[in-house]
Amino acid sequence: MARYLHSFVLFLALIWLIPGLAAPAHAADDDLRAKIDALASGGFSQTAKQIQDLAATGDDRVVPALQALLAGKLYFKKAGKQVFITEKASGGYALTDPLTGESAGTLARGALKKIRVNNRLRRELKAALGNLTLLSKVTAVRLKAAEAVFKSQDPDTLEALVSAISKETDDGVKKVLEQAHAAVLLKTDAAEADKIAALAVIEDRGDRDALSVVIATAAQAEGALKAAAEKTATSIRQNLELWGAAQNIWYGLSLGSVLLLAAIGLAITFGVMGVINMAHGEMVMIGAYVTFMVQEVIRTSMPGLFEYSLLISVPLAFLVAGAIGMAVERCIIRFLYGRPLETLLATWGLSLALQQAVRTIFGPSNREVGTPDYMSGAFELGHLTITYNRLWIIVFSLVVLFALMAVLKKTPLGLQMRAVTQNRRMAGAMGIRTNWVDAVTFGLGSGIAGIAGVALSQIDNVSPNLGQSYIIDSFMVVVFGGVGNLWGTLVGAMTLGVANKFLEPYAGAVLGKVLVLVFIILFIQKRPRGLFALKGRAIES
Amino acid sequence: MKTYFRGAVAAIAVTAAVMTSNVVQAADTIKVGILHSLSGTMAISETTLKDVMLMLIEEQNKKGGVLGKKLEPVVVDPASNWPLFAEKARELIEVKKVDVVFGCWTSVSRKSVLPVFEELNSILFYPVQYEGEESQKNVFYTGAAPNQQAIPAVDYLAEAEGVKRWVLAGTDYVYPRTTNKILETYLKEQLGVAADDIMINYTPFGHSDWQTIVADIKKFGSAGKKTAVVSTINGDANVPFYKELANQGIKAEDIPVVAFSVGEEELAGLDTGPLVGHLAAWNYFMSADTPENADFIKKWKSFIKNDKRVTNDPMEAHYIGFNMWVKAAEIAGTTEADAVIDAITGVTVPNLTGGYSAMMPNHHITKPVLIGEIQANGQFETVSETPGLVPGDAWSDFLPGSKDLISDWRKPLACGNFNVKTGKCSGKGS
Amino acid sequence: MMTMKFIQGGFDRRAVVFLGLLFLIAAVVSFLNLAMEPGSTFHVSSYTVALIGKYLCYALLALSVDLVWGFCGVLSLGHAAFFALGGYAMGMYLMRQIGTRGVYGDPVLPDFMVFLNWKELPWFWYGFDQFWFAALMVLAVPGVLAFVFGWFAFRSRVTGVYLSIITQALTFALMLAFFRNDMGFGGNNGLTDFKDILGFDVQADSTRVGLLIASAVALAIGFIICKALVNSKFGKVLIAVRDAESRTRFLGYRPENYKLLVWTLSAMMAGVAGALYVPQVGIINPSEFTPANSIEAVIWVAVGGRGTLVGATIGAVLVNFGKTLFTGILPEFWLFALGGLFIAVTLFLPKGIMGAIDGYMAKRKAAKDSGPEAQPQEGD
Repeated sequence: MARYLHSFVLFLALIWLIPGLAAPAHAADDDLRAKIDALASGGFSQTAKQIQDLAATGDDRVVPALQALLAGKLYFKKAGKQVFITEKASGGYALTDPLTGESAGTLARGALKKIRVNNRLRRELKAALGNLTLLSKVTAVRLKAAEAVFKSQDPDTLEALVSAISKETDDGVKKVLEQAHAAVLLKTDAAEADKIAALAVIEDRGDRDALSVVIATAAQAEGALKAAAEKTATSIRQNLELWGAAQNIWYGLSLGSVLLLAAIGLAITFGVMGVINMAHGEMVMIGAYVTFMVQEVIRTSMPGLFEYSLLISVPLAFLVAGAIGMAVERCIIRFLYGRPLETLLATWGLSLALQQAVRTIFGPSNREVGTPDYMSGAFELGHLTITYNRLWIIVFSLVVLFALMAVLKKTPLGLQMRAVTQNRRMAGAMGIRTNWVDAVTFGLGSGIAGIAGVALSQIDNVSPNLGQSYIIDSFMVVVFGGVGNLWGTLVGAMTLGVANKFLEPYAGAVLGKVLVLVFIILFIQKRPRGLFALKGRAIES
Repeated sequence: MKTYFRGAVAAIAVTAAVMTSNVVQAADTIKVGILHSLSGTMAISETTLKDVMLMLIEEQNKKGGVLGKKLEPVVVDPASNWPLFAEKARELIEVKKVDVVFGCWTSVSRKSVLPVFEELNSILFYPVQYEGEESQKNVFYTGAAPNQQAIPAVDYLAEAEGVKRWVLAGTDYVYPRTTNKILETYLKEQLGVAADDIMINYTPFGHSDWQTIVADIKKFGSAGKKTAVVSTINGDANVPFYKELANQGIKAEDIPVVAFSVGEEELAGLDTGPLVGHLAAWNYFMSADTPENADFIKKWKSFIKNDKRVTNDPMEAHYIGFNMWVKAAEIAGTTEADAVIDAITGVTVPNLTGGYSAMMPNHHITKPVLIGEIQANGQFETVSETPGLVPGDAWSDFLPGSKDLISDWRKPLACGNFNVKTGKCSGKGS
Repeated sequence: MMTMKFIQGGFDRRAVVFLGLLFLIAAVVSFLNLAMEPGSTFHVSSYTVALIGKYLCYALLALSVDLVWGFCGVLSLGHAAFFALGGYAMGMYLMRQIGTRGVYGDPVLPDFMVFLNWKELPWFWYGFDQFWFAALMVLAVPGVLAFVFGWFAFRSRVTGVYLSIITQALTFALMLAFFRNDMGFGGNNGLTDFKDILGFDVQADSTRVGLLIASAVALAIGFIICKALVNSKFGKVLIAVRDAESRTRFLGYRPENYKLLVWTLSAMMAGVAGALYVPQVGIINPSEFTPANSIEAVIWVAVGGRGTLVGATIGAVLVNFGKTLFTGILPEFWLFALGGLFIAVTLFLPKGIMGAIDGYMAKRKAAKDSGPEAQPQEGD
């Protein structure tokens, strides 16, 4: 690749400067096609060579073929070894010519063979695509290309980078290009002073990739450069340390939000109603399976709605889990009021049966719940990596919590619920239909557990065991926060989440959790009714 | 008071009747025990194996059974409860009178049933990759030993990807512990990796919050050397782990993860789009392009009546194990345990990847080792395959305690842990 | 609710029957196993012996749960922890007995330590090669843990659901800790591959029968202790604590001391149950600590009848017998049966089987009493 790149960059620069001269490229059409078709033969190392050849042509018409290869969509006809870009279609694969982009009919799967890539080839492809698209007209593509070059640090891209920087108009892209340039420069035998200057540019970037470049430099350099690189590395590290603490808080909050979601429903069924609801976890699981079902239906009949699948699932999960909850209350729980410990036994039996029911219906293995685009990936906030799914889950848990609080505090239903749980007989005497309120309250708690299931399906296994893994944590959160107090549940969940995440790096994941549990045990000794204890007569019951 | 007593006596009588009722049954079938959890935490993996066994038995019966007799499957549910495994094993052998048992998944379940098989002298086929360090007369290990999975995978990464820095991440139990011990020694001694370049991390079962650990891996990977993760993370914890990897943007090109416990079944619960390129090392992939495999997949899908179900490595292990047992029984002319154990050494049957697997004297089998990359469709694509078959090594050469041990159940040695230095068969064989 | 009537009345008679039956089962099963030829129709297989032995251990665990829950109102969701600790103490003794017969032939280190490359025995394994020490630890470890835990919890007046949840936290924390291989208890695999106990081969039929008899004796002793305790003045205070803790305190008693003593005793009983359980099933591993196991023990008690010591043992045996039966004949659906049973018992037999029988007897007695030939009745 290296040898050809100089000429390629010059060539590209020329095209850029004199658009009129782009025409001669057509002469190389057959040559290009031959080079693309060559991909059809040979093992991985040959393919690597062929990719380098293609990249070396410097012709951006090879970009679609390379992209298709990267995406695993480049196939060749078994007969004739002609290479095509493919797309799944009814009756096989729809073929597209890799150069012209013209449609080339449809072929059965059996007549085609995929051109295989492995990680090494993927790296090769990304680097090649980065080089080829440094001068693209689209800013986002240029940014991606610049990042790719930063990662590949190919010394031969140096001149291309220089010219790209000089032409770049977008400040963001320019910055990355300069960083890439600095990173590449450190790999070359440039003058020491230049390299030290480059280190400053890298230091400015300050992330893990930058650190990686600096450490690699320090390992190879000598004298002043080594000292400078080490100094830079230390400074980046210190900076990252600080960010690391902030990141830890974020992780803690995010873990806390998961605990919160899992526990809110329990805060109603257990906290408000006093039912030791061991089937709570199964309600969460049912919510997750509702999400799976919704996505299944969408996948088969309305693929366009996939992005909204979670939004559709939330009310459905609430309704399904809520309805099951109400049925459970009517059939089992209502006979057990005033005997809280016995609700434990009945709901435990229920949880066993529900788990097995789901296992029988959906099978014991994990089910795939897809992630919509707005929940995948991450963005950088300073040097914090914030993943979208975690962000949304935090937001979602808070929304659910505050919505629930509003229901309890501001609606007549909430008023009745509080009345019934505080003094059933008095409430009945005031004309409240206590039976109905009980059923609705339990349904509400279960429904919220169902909603939690929708969110948890995004980060955990959707399997019959899903609920089991959250039930103990949920109880801990509710008891720690104080039974019957939603603020307590919020503070409890977040405290446990953050505590867990701060212990993890020192004690390890297991011991960290053990320590948190011991802490809860000791805490309950100190405050036997949790963080936010209810005051008044209710506690003596 | 008397009513009590009478009631109690009646209850005992019923109990005794139920417990012994199975004994008196005609022996015109050969009973095959299936000991896989159908409920509890391991049901997720083991139920499939129960189904595959039922399918294999059905197929064999269509071919006329074994030794002119039909096979009769006996399924019990040990419910992912380890002491219950031992109890159920005893029930199968002693009460239900099965001639052979196919079962277990976790190491602890195998450890739990071992004494039972030894005491009652029956046969167990164990189909899952495991940590090695064991060779028992009554057990046949058809899954991979560490040298049939872990070591070739590490070799591949070191050669093809030029990996210089290693994260050994696993669930805290005996398989990852042992595998990582072996790999650590192997990396240091054979590949010359410095201690600084190895990070070892253990997490509890079912760990679901991977944020910190993935961030740590990222941090470890930013030291300017090519880094890879060798994952011995157990089934359930993998889904959240891979989801976190994908979300934190760790691509296979940057930090590849090679897993030993992630197969097609586990991937079925995942959107594999962002995971393309991460690796797994197994002895079988569903994508294997052979007529035997195509036939097996077709039969499986029609047996389970679901076109979306996948096949995986432990299923192939049961396929191989079952066929070996059938062949050995036919050679021995009986299903009696000792005769079958003697006959099965050296038995060779076709595997599903286009070759043959043979039963070794150490009760492990020969297998090809395949390294595959995850594809967007939830399948693996083989990127490397060992040139020949790799014989399973019961005792690792890279652990100080087992370096000198060998296993050979053929007479006259007939010892599972023979110390070549002291010339003694340690443990129970002495 | 159990009332004084039973304690003064025919309850003792019931206890005698229970003990007699226990003795009978142990004797008959042992005889039929050892004296009959394996081919004989009367032969009881060693499978059945091990099974009954296991049930008896569970019965002892249920007894210990009933003691604290039924008579002192402390619902423990953590008794599995004491059971498992007792089991581990015994398991450690059995491990040390393996000696050079382990696969690596190391005279001191158990196999799992050899292959994790440990050089020497951790300090907490010292002494376990002696049976008396292990037996002491079977009582001491659960006892001390329960004492410390109870001392804090009862003094802080942690009650009801809060107490239940923190006992659950206790067993969960222990489970996670024992899963760690670094703890030196064999991690997930736990302790297995036992060879002999007190010099007897654990796989021999006679040893199995011996263990069965030991379990029966332990259960009988546990039962007698519980019985004596709850029938004494002490037991009456206990029931007062259960039914109205505040009032009892106002009368000048110290409920926390009563609770603490019973709690510790109960933990030690659970420990003994665990210790006898381990050699019979052949393995002890951290999953014995799961909160689910504790909840199940509570369910046995509820099924049999809370506050009726006999009922607890019957519940344990019945539920486990059902499990054995259904996991064999209905492998795919037994959880429905089990779950349904728990729901049905709570709904229809709120006082458990024993409670239902008592209720029936009381009714019959009432009917008889009102009849012309009223007889003195024993209350059952």
